[in-house]
Amino acid sequence: MTTTRRARLHLTLVMGLLVLLHFYVRPRLGAARLSPDLLLFALVTFAMRSGAGVASVAGFVVGLASDALSPARFGASALAHTLVGYAAAWGRAVFFADNILVNAAFVAVGLWLRDLVLLLASGGGDRPLGLELAVYAPLQGVITAAAGAVVLFAARQFLDLRVDT
Amino acid sequence: MLAGSDRSYSRRDTILFLACLALAVTALFAPVGLTHGIATFLRESVLAPLVWLQERAEEGRTSRARLRAIAAQRDSAAHVAQLVPALTAENERLRGLLGLSRRIRTPYVPAEVLHQPQATDPRMLLLGAGRSAGVMAFDPIVAPEGLLGMVVSAGRSTSTAMTWAHPEFRVSAYTEEGGVFGIVAGAPAATASEVSLEFRGVAYRDSVAPGTLVLSSGLGGVYPKGIPIGTVLGIIREQAGWERVYSVRPAANPGATAHVLVLTAPRDRSVADAFAADTAAPAPEMPASPPPAPPPPPARRDTAR
Repeated sequence: MTTTRRARLHLTLVMGLLVLLHFYVRPRLGAARLSPDLLLFALVTFAMRSGAGVASVAGFVVGLASDALSPARFGASALAHTLVGYAAAWGRAVFFADNILVNAAFVAVGLWLRDLVLLLASGGGDRPLGLELAVYAPLQGVITAAAGAVVLFAARQFLDLRVDT
Repeated sequence: MLAGSDRSYSRRDTILFLACLALAVTALFAPVGLTHGIATFLRESVLAPLVWLQERAEEGRTSRARLRAIAAQRDSAAHVAQLVPALTAENERLRGLLGLSRRIRTPYVPAEVLHQPQATDPRMLLLGAGRSAGVMAFDPIVAPEGLLGMVVSAGRSTSTAMTWAHPEFRVSAYTEEGGVFGIVAGAPAATASEVSLEFRGVAYRDSVAPGTLVLSSGLGGVYPKGIPIGTVLGIIREQAGWERVYSVRPAANPGATAHVLVLTAPRDRSVADAFAADTAAPAPEMPASPPPAPPPPPARRDTAR
């Protein structure tokens, strides 16, 4: 098996594990709004290791799944996740992505961007936009980034990641 | 790392990105019926195993708490049974102890709420019960505290529900004391500390005191009469001498609800007696017959339907 093919297989296995954790472990953690969004973490991790086109498609698929599960405004989540996937892949070209802290920061910023686009695209809700973007989104971003850093650290050899910060 | 990581952006990447954007925007402006159909199809095909996983996780999270509650209810029931010789005569009291699901007399389906980690989660809830359990679109959903919203689309094993936090939510309502009628909707300018509802369309000649309980009126055929919606906090604004708008504190919190009851048809009978002990209103004894009807209402319809 070639190195590239093995890396792809490892990444796919980690993505699969994250999807399982998202649907089986995350609901047990309590408050949904403050629990780590492992789907978004999986998307950003995948996007940072892929081309922008594939990352956009992955974002669209993740967003479509989110829309099907919580259709506040169908399409809003697909739009938000497509943009996040593309931005993460684009960020790969600008930042050094083989670093756990850089990955974690990408996840936090990506989640905030996702919430911004999602809220703008789905219209007014029960909470003002400012509260969501100033309190809940950053808090969930930090929690997701921390959970992601733990996952990346645990799978650092599997994903061929650097540990130094 | 993958070889594709360091590639410069190709034309193919741009085309894929634009195609995804176009599809997402198309979905955003597609007809609601079509998008609900697509969402239901996805939930019941490719996402079905993931929804099943989440249902098991929710069960695992709440099973310990439910076991404690059931044990407490069983102990209470056993205690009452030991003290009272005529079990049949005490049936109504036992029903009261066993919670809303036993008190409610209209047909219902219990469902778990599968919360999603998104900002829009409290507006639309994914429920772990669908058509196979008897859930249909426009079925009201309630928590022990009061009204949460209604089902907007029902799949085979899951359904989605619009809560009072949704901008399009409306319910015809009346006050418990005095029978003042109006329409309850989400407050568009809610602040962080007080997420609230608005009791609109109240005639200027009518006044509602703070603390008054607001109930669903049963008009419109979606929500049965007598479900607590919330408690009046005060006047928000007055409209040129013909209407008052009141702020209402919601009775039930969709963001913190783990289990709901989906009330299935028929919806023409009052459910007020089922909620009496769980709301801010004084808890009366379970009446043998439904409470007296409020004065004849003006001809209004629920606009959510």
